[in-house]
Amino acid sequence: MLFNDYPFLLVFLPAAILIYRLVDPYPQLRILTLVLLSFAFYAYGNPPFILLLVLSILINWLAALAFARTKMAAIITAAIVADLAVLAIFKYSNFIADNLGLVLGRSLPHFDIVLPLGISFFTFHHIMYLVDLRRGKAPLYPLDRYALYISFFPQAIAGPLVRWSEVMEQFGRKVYSPGWQREFYVGLAFIATGLFEKIFLGDRLAGIIDPVYAQAAGGPVTNGDAWLALSFNIQILYDFAGYSDIAIGLGLLFGIRLPFNFNAPFRSTDIQDFWQRWHITLMKFLREYLFFPLVNKRMVPRRWLPVQYFGAMILTMALCGLWHGASWTFVLWGTLHGIALVICALWRRYCPRLPSLLGWALTVIFALLTGVIFRAGSLGAAFNIYQGLAVPPDLAQGRHLLPVVIIVLMAFVLPASQDVIARLTRRPRPWLAALIGFGLLAILVSLGEGNVTGFAYFRF
Amino acid sequence: MSLDLPISDSDASPEWTRCLVACVGTLALGALLLFAFLIAVDPYDSGKFGLLGIAGVNDRNTHTSVASFARDANFDSAVIGNSTALMLDPVGLSRATGLRFVQLAVTGASPPEEFAVLDSFLRHHPRVGALVFVTDPSWCAHDSAEPWKAFPYWLYDNSSLAYAGRLFSWPAIEHAFQRLSIGLGLRRRMDPTGSFNPDDVWPAGEFYEINRPKDPPPAATMAGRDSFPELSQLDEVIKKLPDNVAVVLTVPPTHATTVAQPGTVAAAEREACNAALSRLVAGRPHSNFINYRIDNAVTRDRANFVDFIHYRPNVAARMSEGIAASIKLGNAAKIDF
Repeated sequence: MLFNDYPFLLVFLPAAILIYRLVDPYPQLRILTLVLLSFAFYAYGNPPFILLLVLSILINWLAALAFARTKMAAIITAAIVADLAVLAIFKYSNFIADNLGLVLGRSLPHFDIVLPLGISFFTFHHIMYLVDLRRGKAPLYPLDRYALYISFFPQAIAGPLVRWSEVMEQFGRKVYSPGWQREFYVGLAFIATGLFEKIFLGDRLAGIIDPVYAQAAGGPVTNGDAWLALSFNIQILYDFAGYSDIAIGLGLLFGIRLPFNFNAPFRSTDIQDFWQRWHITLMKFLREYLFFPLVNKRMVPRRWLPVQYFGAMILTMALCGLWHGASWTFVLWGTLHGIALVICALWRRYCPRLPSLLGWALTVIFALLTGVIFRAGSLGAAFNIYQGLAVPPDLAQGRHLLPVVIIVLMAFVLPASQDVIARLTRRPRPWLAALIGFGLLAILVSLGEGNVTGFAYFRF
Repeated sequence: MSLDLPISDSDASPEWTRCLVACVGTLALGALLLFAFLIAVDPYDSGKFGLLGIAGVNDRNTHTSVASFARDANFDSAVIGNSTALMLDPVGLSRATGLRFVQLAVTGASPPEEFAVLDSFLRHHPRVGALVFVTDPSWCAHDSAEPWKAFPYWLYDNSSLAYAGRLFSWPAIEHAFQRLSIGLGLRRRMDPTGSFNPDDVWPAGEFYEINRPKDPPPAATMAGRDSFPELSQLDEVIKKLPDNVAVVLTVPPTHATTVAQPGTVAAAEREACNAALSRLVAGRPHSNFINYRIDNAVTRDRANFVDFIHYRPNVAARMSEGIAASIKLGNAAKIDF
């Protein structure tokens, strides 16, 4: 079920709000109701995969229970290995087969595997909890609360990645207590903002640049349109930030405050700053559960520690790339960002501080150029785009280019959506609320044309 | 990096209740009023709704305008096809046959879309005089065509619910205002016969070297050469029609350079399809099959075509003569082309 489609917005969501309103006075029913609603949401698109989600919850919770009773760390290790193995089977089987085939010099059979929605995200949720349980930081939770942590429908499919400590205690709270109207109103403002970002900015850009990437997949782009392809990173920003804002808004409708995922990344003045503003919850996960363990593990003599540190940085980003998709182009994209982070760290240590404007320009240019590798699907297609940049953009298509220019400028100039919403909802303004209601109506009318497109991060 | 939500302090001020009511109220009331407006106007003149009694549409998009023409009770006969049927003049056909023709050509359509239009016409017309089909090469495919995603099947469907579900869109609102301006006398409705001014569609002048006929791939086996799923479906429809309904199946002319050379696989494929089309109306009164896709003086002359598949009005007029003669005399008609 897509957040930007009628079945969700006109049927599931109103029904879920109504059902939760009815059970809100009964504390023992609140979590169970949200779990069942989340399962219904998850099962809508591909019912068999609900079994995978339920089994995944059960097995990991049983592993947590067994660890709590026996304190055998191997149980947690086995559960995490199993989680990663399932992820690898669904997401990387063909990638592994292709590369093994290259090594062996013969092609291996391809598997017809459908990627279960959200598997990357719920696998990471399991890992966060299990690792913290082993570290003694997390307590054992009842099954229903754990099930909701993994399956809570606003963030189960594509995040934001939530650490257990951020939400577990929020689950089961009374939603309709004094002041709920404000939370609800802010939630609606987030949903309206997210839908606007997705439909009017992200999808609009996608409509313009998708044909350019299709052309690049088949050959050179010699008409100056390659410049349009550079805006892919802006498209995915609005696609994913839009999704995240909708998720945050939905969370608020059910009394749950989810963390923010983006903080105006294209206003960053260096690449480290960029990665602290882009997909924030994934980067927190990677820092906490991959980078720090790699850095803190004693692997090399003391004088080589900087090498280990920077190596861990590059490896973390390379794996970040691989997480996005089973392709070497994703790995290359991640590795390039890892190298950039290393250069940035060394520059900060040994070189004079760059003027902010220059730092911003370098960061944006680097992010947009590497975004081409992320999107193109193959190095050949990416090179076709890069070669196409030798031809200046066709400014005669002024009207055609205007949406791109406006949307890109918005990404460069506007503050993060949460800051805009915070400013707008600092005090009650009924006229503004009516305007948001009108905006939601306009969005619903736009969705009526039926050209609903999925969120990019559903693939990851 | 930690960020604080803007609502860290709960605020139970009644002003927030007013905000929530204003937001949800605007959304709900706006949606209700908009929907009521759309139901009252019936943006596409589908006949499913409409309380204001506005007749006709002002819509040059045949995908949507044909829904209005297809239900018009003033007609009893129809031309079904795609852009290759667009030049057939329904008024001329009516004059020549004594029937009342409406032009239901849908640009870009393949058989699935044309069946949707035909179904709508038959549903709205218990008594049918004649049906003229302009069967372009897509009818000769050996595999069923996929329905065209961009085509509004819901507009031709019998379901009011499916139609109502599609009204909530910007195009529907635009069409509603077009219809409203017809109702207010600010705009004229389009010719309900569905006929176009040829110069509006394809201005007279040069021949464009585009739009070669999309002949389907040949059958994989000899046995498969006589299998035409779309024609089988058309056969079922024709068999259900009363005997007094005239059915004329035509293959539209294309420029002579695109007519298959005798002895080639393409010619054999074309012959097989022609034979199948001919069988559909064999023995049916006032019905005929006419193949206009031939190599002759008319089709060799580029002045008679806009491009390889779209013929000009003078060619359409000659085709109409053959169609009218067929409706009168069946397969005994003399086809002069």
